[in-house]
This record gives sequence, structure tokens and C-alpha cells, in this order.
Amino acid sequence: MQVSIQWLKDYIDFDWTAEELADRFTMAGVPVENVIRADAGLESVVTGRIEKIERHPDSDHLWVCQMNVGKSDLIQIITGAQNVRQGQVVPVAMVGAHLPNGVHIKKGKLRGLPSNGMLCSAGELHLDTSKMTEDQLNGIYILPDDTPVGVPAKDVLGKSDVILEFELTANRGDCFSVLGLVREIAVLTGNAPKWPTIACKEDDDAKAADLVNVGIEADDLCDRFSARVVKNVKIGPSPAWMQERLEGAGIRAINNVVDVTNFVMLELGQPMHAYDYDEITGHQLTARRAAAGENLHTLDDTSRIAKGDELVIADAEHPAGLAGIMGGYETEITEKTTTVVFEAASFYGPSIRRTSRACGLHSEASGRFERGVDVTNTPRALDRACQLLQDMGACMVTQGIVDCYPAPKAPTTIDFTAAQINGRLGTELPGKDMVAILTKLGFEVEDKGSESYHVTVPSWRNDCSRMDDLSEEVARIYGFDNIVSTTPFGRMMQGHQSEKQAFETQVKHILVSLGMTEELSFSFTSNDLFDKLRVPEDSELRRAIPIMNPLTDEAPLVRTCLLTSIMENAVRNFSRKNMDIKLFDVAPVFYPKQLPLTELPDEKLKIVGLITGRRDEASWNQTNDMVDFYDMKGIVEQLLARLSISKYTVEAGEHFALHPGKTALFKKGRETIATVGELHPEAAANFGIKQKVYLFEMDLETLMKYAGKKFHFESLPKYPAIERDLALLVAEDVQAADIEKVIQKNGGKHFTGVTLFDVYTGKNIEADKKSLAFRMTFQSKDRTLTDDEADTAFKNIVAAVEKSFDAELRA
Amino acid sequence: MMEEKIEQLKAQAAEAIQHAAGNLSELDDIRVKFLGKKGEFTSILRGMGALAKEDRPKVGKIVNEAKAQIEALIAEKNEELKARALADKLASEKIDVTLPGRTQPLGHLHPLTLTLERIKDIFFRMGFSVEEGPEIEKDYFNFEALNLPKDHPARDMQDSFYITEDILMRSQTSPVQARTMQKNDPNTPIRMIAPGRVYRRDEYDATHSPMFTQVEGLVIDKGITMADLKGTLELFLHQIFSEDVKIRLRPSFFPFTEPSAEVDISCVMCHGKGCKVCKGTGWLEILGAGMVHPHVLEMSGYDPNVVSGFAFGMGVERIAMLSYGVDDLRLFYDNDMRFLSQF
Repeated sequence: MQVSIQWLKDYIDFDWTAEELADRFTMAGVPVENVIRADAGLESVVTGRIEKIERHPDSDHLWVCQMNVGKSDLIQIITGAQNVRQGQVVPVAMVGAHLPNGVHIKKGKLRGLPSNGMLCSAGELHLDTSKMTEDQLNGIYILPDDTPVGVPAKDVLGKSDVILEFELTANRGDCFSVLGLVREIAVLTGNAPKWPTIACKEDDDAKAADLVNVGIEADDLCDRFSARVVKNVKIGPSPAWMQERLEGAGIRAINNVVDVTNFVMLELGQPMHAYDYDEITGHQLTARRAAAGENLHTLDDTSRIAKGDELVIADAEHPAGLAGIMGGYETEITEKTTTVVFEAASFYGPSIRRTSRACGLHSEASGRFERGVDVTNTPRALDRACQLLQDMGACMVTQGIVDCYPAPKAPTTIDFTAAQINGRLGTELPGKDMVAILTKLGFEVEDKGSESYHVTVPSWRNDCSRMDDLSEEVARIYGFDNIVSTTPFGRMMQGHQSEKQAFETQVKHILVSLGMTEELSFSFTSNDLFDKLRVPEDSELRRAIPIMNPLTDEAPLVRTCLLTSIMENAVRNFSRKNMDIKLFDVAPVFYPKQLPLTELPDEKLKIVGLITGRRDEASWNQTNDMVDFYDMKGIVEQLLARLSISKYTVEAGEHFALHPGKTALFKKGRETIATVGELHPEAAANFGIKQKVYLFEMDLETLMKYAGKKFHFESLPKYPAIERDLALLVAEDVQAADIEKVIQKNGGKHFTGVTLFDVYTGKNIEADKKSLAFRMTFQSKDRTLTDDEADTAFKNIVAAVEKSFDAELRA
Repeated sequence: MMEEKIEQLKAQAAEAIQHAAGNLSELDDIRVKFLGKKGEFTSILRGMGALAKEDRPKVGKIVNEAKAQIEALIAEKNEELKARALADKLASEKIDVTLPGRTQPLGHLHPLTLTLERIKDIFFRMGFSVEEGPEIEKDYFNFEALNLPKDHPARDMQDSFYITEDILMRSQTSPVQARTMQKNDPNTPIRMIAPGRVYRRDEYDATHSPMFTQVEGLVIDKGITMADLKGTLELFLHQIFSEDVKIRLRPSFFPFTEPSAEVDISCVMCHGKGCKVCKGTGWLEILGAGMVHPHVLEMSGYDPNVVSGFAFGMGVERIAMLSYGVDDLRLFYDNDMRFLSQF
């Protein structure tokens, strides 16, 4: 909705500037999105008369003009235009002007003579050139000789109007009209509106009811259908003042009949339609549902096939328009039209909205019906339309209104007390102040004593049905700014978050302390990403939930796996030459219980990590080593340790996205709590990645299940520990974890730990063997251990290891 | 005679000490030569037997004084040489302290997580609890229970991702309001926030994203007023931005609140003077709020005649952008390491 200040001023006086008015509207809940000034750039342009003109002494095309701009002294301006003569009045851009075409006027000299401004052409002032003569277009824009001198040019160029552009909320259909806005201004200023007198003369003897029949079949979609018939219609352009109002509201003038319907819609908020009477088959108009398959041929000469739930206005044979959205092609007003049926109706908003969205047709009318119109307003609108057309001498009005209004709507009433509204707002307003506000807004208020009231809601306020709605009316006019802030925290309440939320935060903080950086990714994925990641065709992960209306074909599914997301982020980083990446993500994935969904899916929080590139920052004093499998495994081990998850096993395993020889499963019993590995070379190739990438994946709730609930510190040892080192030569395929298990099992009661401190293959070692070196610690809590005790335990370990792994002791 | 000899020796020793330029061992040699068991002065003392008995004390005294003087000279030289040796050693160990230090690899929380943690902290201190709900949600909770029946024009405010006719990716965190109320016994007081991901069918550009992060807030109790809403939001906004931020409420429309308000803060970039960020208005729209619509309370089993409440919702991205001066929302979801590692 947009409207010019001039139009508003036709009906009410106010002194506010457009900006002030916009601000007052906005702060009263009628948001103004933009103030559009036609005069933008014309602030320093005035009218001036050329008192004297002579040739520039050093130029054969420049003219030196002495200009009267309404000041005591003439100012000198040099111009290169050739259509200027002494005595003419022209627009003069003064020094400092910023013209609409972007030119900034400064003091200057032209061929040695000072020039203090510029004479302007129509183009330079961004005037509407479509209706200008050749003379007006070329050179300086010459104003009529009797134009006053020294006045702002905008006043004489018809550029003084200012347009307010509203961004109306869905509840305020009543402000979708000039008179609705005037009502708001009246409340805000306290000034009395000058409502237009609406009345038409029924100057043709024919009875409208004899000429046309109207009816409502779909009474759930149409409350009221009213019509008037005018005869002897002379189609032509509407008067300039009306075209100006329409253009200010952003509506193109078409002809007097159509312009009148649009004018009434803007003025009163009641959308209207005009039919060519002679094209209405059977002279019958019915509001009914379209039959499925019926052809809907609309004004824009487009045909649509009806689905069957659209409300149409049909004549005896065909739909003659999509109700409330767009009229029909056949009954359109043309130059040949002589008799017109005006329609003013009230349609059911949700239905109009559904059809308008389904057809992709949004009109000024549909926007108003969606928000709801004043059902009592249809006769007034018809009268107004006939009156306006009659005033143009373009029609004769037949007798009466043909009105179908099967179930007249009773006005809404609300009871309230001042205490209720004050209790909602936190104010202490006297009841009489509330009454004053509501009365000005058109509510009828009956005082029932003791600050309790009975209110009748005006017919145009469909949005008000309970006390709470009235509290908003009071608050917005009283001013939200005038409500004094308080806090509701008299009673203590303990703020908390769930164990799971706290655990999620803890996991993130631990990963950050391990050098990992958090990413946030969209919850979408695609089959293409599944393919790239080598997700097997029969995997459950492929059963991702499809989105009915995805934004792009690249993201049609809701993700079942975070690895696709973190891979996308890695690839994006690679493309930006960020080759060293340590990322993690904690986010939900979605597993459908069935497809298509009939109930909500399972949402599981997953944790994934990705590292690649250099281990340390590139620097003169750091190694250039690349991260490897054991960096990633170490991160997982440390995370588990910090979460007090221990006594898990690690074994070689398989995962579709990971290198089969470099995949480790962390397990608690049979349950996998973490998967770590190197990205499968084939997947790497699919993603176009040339460097090694390592990944981990965990399930947050599984981790939480095993995480130590309460943490206790371990007291520091009072007695020294004894260490023994063991170097072993074993077959290449023996797993270190298996040896550690045997060591632990045979360590005896003072055994406290084992560390693998060296792994060696190569020179001096047989090809299929490797050397492993373990350091074992023995310690007692209550005394100093003897070397003998340690030696005995050590010997047991050595014997067991030798036996179990066919190991050879190295010196 | 004897005195002269002693003076000579003393002078010789002093000379030698002074020229013992090189090192400590040279100085030690001098000490041995003059003061050692076989040194010059020792031999004088040994030869004292040849002196007259009355001269012995006098000569002994002179010798001892001379020895003491030489010892002192040696000690002094010793200090000097040690100091010089230390200085030389230190000088030789000098490094270029302007070379960059050796860094440890640091991880970073995402700026939106950091912002959300700040938001949660402020509300925890005000006694709010964190509630959660599913991200794939029923249309009923996302819209209908919030007073947004099908075909309500306000649904145009949000274009949603639908899974089926009745299930969608939640377009707001507000459904957690209805879920929390329905989980509770009727009229149980509530003071909650619900942070989380929400989804709207918006093209991905500098200010829109198909997924973003919202924080919903809800307070319900007996006698909760619009003034309480104002006061609570002022407390929050002053803490998250700064105490000198100005706050204004503009009447607006949300189907689930009545009265409804858009909440603006004075522009944190230009302090209300008008700039590019606030489009010259001096104000920034920061959240939507209002008194919970009585119908919303009723639908979730609460009695609007007994309790009242307020609700608010804000975008975490917007707050993070203003806090950190980030001018393109996509930076949050591009996950460029160069961006993330700044936080």
C-alpha cells in the first residue's frame, strides 16, 4: 500500500512533515517502510527569470545570463543551451544543489567568466518526459511566463508530493485504505477528519434488479455480493486529479470505469470489479466454486484449468472472473462498453489467499481480501463508484442496489475492565483514558460503572475480538515508550540446562582445547554427496528424508550423516587454498522411522572431526610434518579421557568412507563409541582431494552413556615408582594393543601402567618384523617397592609376551 | 735489603696480574708463582732464619702485608676476568628475539556458538532454563498451536521447507513454547529460552540463509505484564551490547502475541547517528516480542484468566554480526578456516 500525502490531506489537516508522519504511523503499529519524495534532488532548485542575456565574449556557443531568482541581486549563470531568451522563466539549480541525475552544482568559471549555478533541462530534473513536446525536451525546460520567480521549482513542476509506502501487518486490513489511514491520523493528531460525502443520484428509471441477478452458492467463501448497474456509459480517460491520485498509489490509469473501481478500493478499502453488462451471459452473476476442469480465462488473457476449490464469479455459463483476484477476459470493460455492472463483495480471505498463491496472481484486491474487508461497506463502495463516474458525466445510475447478504454479521462486542488492561500492560491508566482512545478509533464504548465497559467493535476491525486485542489498541496509541519497565523476577527461579546440553558444550570445549575448530553446516545433503562418500546403495543412511520444496536440486535431502557436510567444508577450504584444516561439527542427523514420514523422525546428535595438512603452523621453527592417522586417534583418545571414558578396546575395523587398512573402532563391549580413520582414497578422488584426510565420527548420546558421571581425583603417589623397559621383536602384523593387553594381564598387583615408546622397522630388522619398546611402571601405594619385586613382575610379563606372540627379546 | 727485594717481588706480581689478560688459569699460575708453597714469598719466609732475630717480626709483617696485597689484586683480577668471561658467554648466546615464537595449534569455537553461550549465560543469570524441541516439526506445533491456522496470511511471513503436508523443518523456535507448556501441568510458571536451528526457504545471500539460529524466550506466571517484557529485554540487550544502547518497542503483529512489538536498539555502529548498517535510521531491528496470545495459552492448556506471559525471539546471526562487525551472513556457514580461527 502506498499513498500520497496530498491524498491524505484531502481528508484531514496535519502539520507534520512526511517523515514525522511516517514515524508516528510506525510507532503506532502502522509501519511505513519508505518515504518517497518526488522532489528528491530539487531542494536547491528555484524558478528564475532571465533578465539579461548576451553572448560570451570568448565563445560562440555560450550565453551569459543575469538571473533574477527572487533575491535583491541578480546572479550570473553561463549556459550552453541555445533555446533561452530574455524574459523566460526557467528552473535554476543554485550552488550546492545535488540534482536527481547526480550532478553537484558548484561555483565555477566558464572561459574566464564566473558562473553561479545552472539552468536545468527536463532530463536533468528527472521530470516525466513522456508527455512533453519536442520543444520542452530539447534544451532548458522553459516554464510559463507567468510562473512566480524565486519559488521552489518542485512547487511549479508538480513534484511537491510525497509518497508514503506502507508495510502493513497481516492484521490491519482496515489501514489498507486512505480513509483507514486518515482515521489513524485523526487519533494521533486529535484533528477531525473531513469525510467525503458519498451519495449518487439514481437518474435512470430502470431497476437494477430487473437488469441483473446476483447470487451466492458458496456461502462459506462469500459473505456478501452487492452490485449496481450504470447505463449510457461513456468510456474515456478519467480526470487528471484522479489519475494523479492513482499514480501516487502506484496504480496505472486505464479508463474512467476501471480507474473509478481502483480509486474506490484505495479510498474505502473495498475492492471492486466492473463487468461489461452485455457480455454477461444470462445477466446473472453467481459466487460459486469452480467445477474441476473448468476453464478460467482472466483479464491478462491467460487460461487456467480450475482445480475445483477456487471461488469464481460466474455468469449463466462460464466463470467471469476469479473472485477477488482478477476479472474475466470476456466481460472486460472495453471502448465499446455502454452498460456496466459494478461489483462490491466480501470474500473469505483464506480461500482467496490459497487461490492467489496457487495461480501466482497477487493483486491489490487479493491482498485486501486476504486481510479481510469491512462487510458492511459494499453499498457505500457502489455508491461512491457511481457518484464518481456520474460526476464525470460518464453514466446514468439505475435504481437500487442488488444485494445478496444471506447472513448479516452481528457486530463483535467485548467486555473489559480497566484493571484487566492495566494488568496486561503493567500500566495504571484510568479507564476514561482507555475509553478516549477506543472511541477515537471508532469503538462504541458503554460505561458499565466501576471502570468496566462494554465495547462494540467497528465493522472494519476484524482483528479485534477479545480484551487482549483492546489492550493492544490502548498500548499502541498510549505509546509503548510510555510503559515503564519492570522485571518479573521477584521470585527466584533456578536457570538450568539439561545434562545433554551441558555435555554437548563440554565436548565442544574439549575438542577446541585439542586444537580443533568448530564448524556449523546446513542440515541438507544429496545423493551425489552419498555417492562421493561411497555410502553403499543399501545403507540405511541412504534413506534420507526428501524435502518437498528444496531450495536447490543440490540439497534435496535432510542429512543422515555429518561426514558429507564436513567433507563439503573441507573441499571449500581447499578451493580457497586453506590446506591445513582441523574441523569438528556437533549437530543432529535425522533418521526417518518410515518414508514418507507419518511421524517425526529420530534426531541424533553426532560429532565428526576432520584433520588434514600440516600438524603445526608453517613457521621457521616448526616441522613440516603432515598429520597422520595417529594424530586423529590421539585426539579421540584425549577426548575420551577428558570425558572419563576408559576401559574401551580399539580394533581394526571397516567403514565405507575410510581406508580399509587405516580404520580403528573404539569399542565398549560390542558397541562402537568412535570410528577413526583415513578417508578412503576413492572417496578422496571423488571429492577431488589430493592430500590425506583423517576423520572421526561419534554419537553424542552413546558417549554420554559411558562418560564418568562424577570425577574424583587420584591422590599423588607417596612412594617412588620403578620402571622397566622391554624391547621386543615381533611379526609385522602383531597389533600393539594385543601386546599391551597381555602386559597388563601379567603385570602383577604393583603394575600401574605401560607406554609404547618406540616402534621401529627397517635397518637391522628382518623385513617381516618390527621392534616395539614398552616402558612399564610398578609402584606401591603404601611402601617403596624393591627392585626384586619389580624384576619378578617384569619376568612374568616377558615370559607371557614371548609365549603369546612368538616375540624375541632385544637387548 | 730484604724490604727492597719484597717491594720488587710485589711490583713484579702486580705487573704480572695486571697483564694476565687471557684467562683464569694464567692468573692461577701467577698466584702459584708468588704465593704458592714453592712461591717466591714462601721462600722468603723460609729464608727468615738467616735474619737477625729482631728483624724477623718486621720482615714477616712486610711479607704478609705484601702477600695480602697480592691476594687482593688477584681476587680483584679474578672477579674482572670472571665477569668478562660471563659477558663473553652471554654475548655469544645472543638470539634474534624478533623471530616468531613457536605456537601451539589452537582450536576455536564457532562465532555463533560463542554468541549463543553469551546469550545463554545472561538468561541463566535471570533464572531462565534451556528447553529444546525437534528440528523436524509438526505443522501443528510450528504454526497452528501458535495461532497460525492454515491459509493465515501471516504464514507468508515465512516460506518453509515442507516434508509432508503436516511435517516441516521448523521455521522458528516458537514451537518449543507450545511443547513446553503442553509438557507441564496447566499454569505451571515458565521461564525458558529455546535456542536452535531453524529453516526458511530463503535464498542464500549476505543477509539470508536457508538455515539460521534463533533463540526463543517465554515467561509465564501470574501477573506478567508488558512492562515486565520491556524490562527483561532491556536487561538482556544492555548486557549483550552495552549499557548505553537505547531500546524502543514498535507495535507490530505476530499471530502468537497480543500486543506484539518489534524491538529496536540504537545502532551499535553509529550510535544512532545513521549509517549504512542502520540504513540511516539510527535504529536496528533486533527482535520480535509480545504478550502471549490468550488463544495460544488456551490451546496448550493454560488459562489466560489465571496466568499471563510474554515471549520473544531473536536471530543469533544478527547479534553476532553486530557484535563482531561481520557484514556477510554467509561467512558463518562457509566455515573458512581463516574466518573461524579469528574467534
